Amino acid sequence: MATLTMQDVTKQFGRKVIAVKEFNLEVQDQEFLVLLGPSGCGKTTAMRMVAGLEEVTNGRILIGDRDVTDLPPRNRNVSMIFQNYAVWPHMTVFDNIGFALKLKKMPKDEIEKTVKEVAGMTNIDMLLERYPSQLSGGQQQRVAVARAIAVYPEIFLMDEPLSNLDAKLRVSMRTELKAIHDKTEATTVFVTHDQSEAMSMADRIVIMKDGEVIQVGSPDDVYHRSASIFVADFIGTPPTNFLEVDVKSENGDYRLVNPHVDFKPESHISESLRDYDKKNLILGIRPENIVLTNQKDAVLSAECLVSEPQGSHQVVAIQLDQQYIKVIASAQPKINPGETVHLAFKQDTLRLFDPETTLAIGD
Amino acid sequence: MIKKKPTSLAKIIKSTIFYLFVTTLGVGILLPAFFLVSLSFLSTREAYQFPLPLLPALSAKYSLTFGDRGYLLSVYDDFDDEYQTVLDTAELEKMSVYMRSQIGAPYDIPDIEDRIAELESGTDPVYFKARKNLLLNYDLFFKVTRDAVPALIRSLQIAGMTIVISLSIGGMAGYAFARYVFIGRDALKFSVLFVRMFPGVAIALPMVIILANMGFYDQPIGLSLVYSVGSIALTVWITASIFMGIPESLEEAAQVFGATKFQAFLKITFPLALPGLAAAAMYAFLGAWNETVSAIILTQFNPTFAVVVYQTLLGAVGHVNLAAAGGLAMAIPSVIFTFFIRRYINQMWGGVTV
Amino acid sequence: MAVAIGNKSFRNVWSKAIPYLLILPVVVYYALFWVRPVLKTVFESFRDTAGQFTLQNYAMVFSDPDFIPAVRNTAIIVVFSVTLEFLAALFLAILINRKFVGSSFFLFVAMVPMALPAVAVGAMWLTGLTAHGWLNSLLFYLGVSKKIYWLAGSEWALLAIIIIIDAWQVIPSVMIILLAGLQNIPVEAEEAGYVFGGNFITVLRKITIPMLQSTIQTAVILRLISAIQIWLIMVLLMGFNRLPVLVERIVYYHEEVPGLDISFQMASGYTIIVSVIVSIAALLYLKVSGAFGGNQEARQ
Ligand SMILES: Nc1ncnc2c1ncn2[C@@H]1O[C@H](COP(=O)(O)OP(=O)(O)OP(=O)(O)O)[C@@H](O)[C@H]1O
Ligand SMILES: [Mg+2]
Repeated sequence: MATLTMQDVTKQFGRKVIAVKEFNLEVQDQEFLVLLGPSGCGKTTAMRMVAGLEEVTNGRILIGDRDVTDLPPRNRNVSMIFQNYAVWPHMTVFDNIGFALKLKKMPKDEIEKTVKEVAGMTNIDMLLERYPSQLSGGQQQRVAVARAIAVYPEIFLMDEPLSNLDAKLRVSMRTELKAIHDKTEATTVFVTHDQSEAMSMADRIVIMKDGEVIQVGSPDDVYHRSASIFVADFIGTPPTNFLEVDVKSENGDYRLVNPHVDFKPESHISESLRDYDKKNLILGIRPENIVLTNQKDAVLSAECLVSEPQGSHQVVAIQLDQQYIKVIASAQPKINPGETVHLAFKQDTLRLFDPETTLAIGD
Repeated sequence: MIKKKPTSLAKIIKSTIFYLFVTTLGVGILLPAFFLVSLSFLSTREAYQFPLPLLPALSAKYSLTFGDRGYLLSVYDDFDDEYQTVLDTAELEKMSVYMRSQIGAPYDIPDIEDRIAELESGTDPVYFKARKNLLLNYDLFFKVTRDAVPALIRSLQIAGMTIVISLSIGGMAGYAFARYVFIGRDALKFSVLFVRMFPGVAIALPMVIILANMGFYDQPIGLSLVYSVGSIALTVWITASIFMGIPESLEEAAQVFGATKFQAFLKITFPLALPGLAAAAMYAFLGAWNETVSAIILTQFNPTFAVVVYQTLLGAVGHVNLAAAGGLAMAIPSVIFTFFIRRYINQMWGGVTV
Repeated sequence: MAVAIGNKSFRNVWSKAIPYLLILPVVVYYALFWVRPVLKTVFESFRDTAGQFTLQNYAMVFSDPDFIPAVRNTAIIVVFSVTLEFLAALFLAILINRKFVGSSFFLFVAMVPMALPAVAVGAMWLTGLTAHGWLNSLLFYLGVSKKIYWLAGSEWALLAIIIIIDAWQVIPSVMIILLAGLQNIPVEAEEAGYVFGGNFITVLRKITIPMLQSTIQTAVILRLISAIQIWLIMVLLMGFNRLPVLVERIVYYHEEVPGLDISFQMASGYTIIVSVIVSIAALLYLKVSGAFGGNQEARQ
């Protein structure tokens, strides 16, 4: 059990590719931390540097207060679940799980005890004599998990361990992995590019883009208090709606204006608008925070372009010039294409972003 | 119960034609080899008949009658369906030797004496049969040929050493080409192949002096050093693609779980590559085992088996069957080797199924 | 950008050196057992019997009446045998890759010729091609009673015989390389070709062969190199001088004319010329087939 600290870690491949850039992160003891970001943003690279599989170009990595930057993987006391599992095809499940223990010269009976125990935890105790080729994808994944738990590591690294599973198995494995984490209490770094996975599992989420950390925070933080346009857009399905607005002042009050909307935001926002008088801002609003209302209270009225029923709710899309706005509305009454809808914003959920820095303002 | 769709007639006909075709192809490929095998079991007399018998006879039918110079020995000829006179002599010794070495169906002198006694007592001609010694040529080859057995052992040694040298040295380089990106990688990989462009015979000539200086001339180790030149190049290419087929993450996983880089190779990559390496070994084996010319140049008193067979072939102008037996004796180890390694062939140029 | 500090830069250098260290044994081995004999041969080829520098050896090689025929014969054999062997091997590989019942046994059958030693093959064809040999016997059983004098034909007939015999033995090793390559092509790639309306030939031409490209290069280059160096089977069947080819000349001058002082020099001259020809042919093929550059990178 330990903390993991990455200080200014940079990884450069060849001359041009900078996969990870001045990465700073502190993972608390027993924390379940999720690295989230689009494909190619450097998640795997960051994790491989923690494991010692990739040399850092610059910076330091500490586990507890041990500097492990230059240690080979075997001396770091980390364990890892690989993106493609990497279970050894020529070893039985038992040998796969027991491999690390054997290398540690653990006595035979103890190895057997440990293997049985972790196999029980992961529900593969009946499969110990089989070879990986005789297992289903989900079972192989459990072997990879069991193998990783068996060493009782200080740091537990998981690189998209669920990405190869079918949707249903994926959801149930989430629960199991969380349960295992609660049991083992190992500090965990979990990589994914599936945001619902991240939201449901993480204590904290690290959002990455192009090798850089964009935001670190609890799932609620990154969802409701997205730090930048990128995060607001990346998190949530459908993603946040963005509207370009101008800030206008009218006898001390600020209004947000564009050809379709013209309204006065609540006071807590007005505060931060002071520095942006007569400037241009991006308004971000999540689909579920736009509500249907009557004509009188509407901030925005438009024709429904399509509506997608989702069972529990419907997603209504309207078109403003070149742009689509998506709204999550209750399933009833059904809204038909062509129908005019009157919309209002839940004021306390509005986010405003500076178009130049793309960062949120007012935090 | 799972009900199966009845197989359609068209399908049956199609697969019959397919198998007929494959069988014909197989027979066509094996036909020359078949004649070599058959020839190696023929007696000298059979081997010089026309047309050649397709299969060796299992016994010889003799007839004995009085002749001008003593007794007239005839042998039954299957093809012409008649007895043909082969010998007219009074010397029983000569007759017995002829029956043993030319007909391949030995008959001892006391037995011949018995038959002659029958002839003298009025049965004319006397018919009798003798079982053929099918392995006669092999027997002769190993007995007559100067040190065939030690040469065989030497050849096995040479092949073994060649496998060890080329797999260890070539395998290391193959691993480097598969796992690392480094400056000059492609150029180096092609220059390894370049070695094979210089004729092997031409390497052998100057090697006489080089090996003599090292004390390796006319020694098995000297030949394996020469053979390894060509087979290292091939091994590098083969092993490079084997290692490329084994995901690197398997090795990395071992490292994370406590293995050193070397342990990870030994415990993970090596066993997975083993089948492919076995196939690479087959090429090294065949190359060393079958090579003749460098062996002629680089040996003097300790020839390899291939050299012995080659010399028999040159010297056996009147004994094609003997040469065939020698050639086959030589082919048997490599065919057996091939048979066992065949199933690993799939893995040789990459694609270890994980 | 990173400032390398002592320990780290050492580790860096060390890890950069690993691939070179792994290749080092091959380099050393070739320096000892390849470069030395090759240099010696090159050296010899420029020396006369008294040890003086001369170009005489090359002049003699070029004026050897058998030189031009040797080049011509070699070229014919290479062009036809590489083409024939490649096509036949591709056909067999595709056949075996269909994984029918017994395909593994058929693979073994197809591999038998490869396992037979050159001398055994020599014995086999020698006994087959004589007037009383098994080929004529076989024809006799099939009803052709006229004997064919195989080895007494024209040069063209002899070349054809050599090409066929060589193909018989060499096709398996080409096939194995192609087969392994075929097995690496995911079934889905070919299946997709069929799903999108291709027939067997178009899938072969547009999907299988392009995906097999680097395997084909390996197979053909290895084959090309050894086809130029064919000689033993010819000498076994026909003796020296009957149908001169390049490497046969080397052996001839070295082995068969030992009386002449200059034979070793002649042999060296021939060796160098052969190596140059092989290298040029190989490089030319690699260039034409696009093995340098793009494709090779794409494989990694
Ligand atoms: N060995 C390497 N050499 C050169 N570039 C590399 C190497 N490994 C990764 N990269 C590059 O570094 C960047 C980050 O890659 P990384 O594998 O960390 O992405 P990722 O976030 O894990 O993506 P994914 O979600 O698709 O797995 C990519 O642009 C990638 O092309
Ligand atoms: Mg990744």
